[in-house]
Amino acid sequence: MKERSGALGIAAVVVLGLAVAAGAQRTMAAGAEAAPNGSEITIDNFMFTPATLTVKVGTPITWTNRDDIPHTVVSDDKTFKSRALDTDEKFTFTPAKPGTYTYFCSIHPKMVGKIVVVQ
Amino acid sequence: MAKEITAQENGTILFDHHHDGVDRRGFLKCMAWAGTGALCVMEGGVLKSYGLGDPAHIAKQAKGELSFVQISDSHMGFNKAANPDVVSTLQAAVSKINSLPVEPEFMLHTGDISHLSKSSEFDTVDQILRSAKPKDVFFVPGEHDVLEDDGAQYRERYGKDTKGSGWYSFDKKGVHFVGLVNVMNLKAGGMGSLGGEQLEWLEDDVKHLSKSTPVVVFAHMPLWNIYPDWGWGTEDSAQALSYLKRFGSVTVLNGHIHQTMQKVEGNVTFHTATSTAFPQPRPGAAPSPGPMKVPAEQLRALLGVTDVNYMRHRHALAVIDSTLE
Repeated sequence: MKERSGALGIAAVVVLGLAVAAGAQRTMAAGAEAAPNGSEITIDNFMFTPATLTVKVGTPITWTNRDDIPHTVVSDDKTFKSRALDTDEKFTFTPAKPGTYTYFCSIHPKMVGKIVVVQ
Repeated sequence: MAKEITAQENGTILFDHHHDGVDRRGFLKCMAWAGTGALCVMEGGVLKSYGLGDPAHIAKQAKGELSFVQISDSHMGFNKAANPDVVSTLQAAVSKINSLPVEPEFMLHTGDISHLSKSSEFDTVDQILRSAKPKDVFFVPGEHDVLEDDGAQYRERYGKDTKGSGWYSFDKKGVHFVGLVNVMNLKAGGMGSLGGEQLEWLEDDVKHLSKSTPVVVFAHMPLWNIYPDWGWGTEDSAQALSYLKRFGSVTVLNGHIHQTMQKVEGNVTFHTATSTAFPQPRPGAAPSPGPMKVPAEQLRALLGVTDVNYMRHRHALAVIDSTLE
């Protein structure tokens, strides 16, 4: 925790604006509490955005592929596995229990992401 | 006089030479970006490269005991802005092959035959390739060919007599060809992968060969680490290459990166082919390796076929890239 405060302090110095640092803090707090409704992850330029998403149990998570090339969404432990998503195709997974899922694109395995599921 | 291509001219140096007892002149730092094209010939232990501006010279060099052609990444089914008509560019590639001065004995397709592993996409490619003069085509799968069923359909169509996920070898006129599969069971965060079973098979497959046998290895993803940030490489390729160290002449042909690139390391010449469908950016030159949109009139200069000639008396495989223009 101490380290994290330190990092925020540096961020504040770098951006030279306490308001921005406070904004970042609020975003982090909101993330920890989890979005109440459905959550979206986009795929652009061979990247999952956001790379880490925190949601409450039972929240549907939808991935949308916006690249001109197909991608997949596959959790490392195979809890969820999409078919190949062509441009603008979507995949939804609704986590039923808390935990952390790391996932990747099985076609382009350098693409990785993380879902944190909280109560 | 033919123009020598150097890595520096292309703005990037990927050459990485390891001294391992091989004649120090026996390496090539020839690399040609998509569309430029180069002929690379080994003469008396010295590798030379020539630009494609001298057709007469190329025709002289291209005569050998064995001639074959490599095509790659036809991505049948792709229809986005980077190339809305991959059918006609594949047809243009076949026309190019049919007009080569020396008729190739067979074709290699180094994967991504289809874009989405659909039967109709494979059907279209098969139909177009039937109009090529060379009747035999040897395939390896790209990741786009094995999307849905762990490659079952691919193997049913193109890999009936293959081992494991589709690897195999064959001999033509004293040259040993090995088709490898490095697009299956990819691990999070990693690159292409051959896997233990295939590596064991490879070690055994080349064990009985004399060291003077020319070896051609072909696979979809590059068997050298071109740009790991984009996954352009194969995790366990070093292990595979270690089984080939004792051979005097090894040529490695890949696709996947949709542009030509060459490197020579000791006795091994690496070569990647252009796509017949769409170009991809130079490593790191864009936020991602996705399809690169270029002005329509430039597209065919960035697509192409690769013609390979083996000259026994020269102990060389000459690799010539031609664009579709």
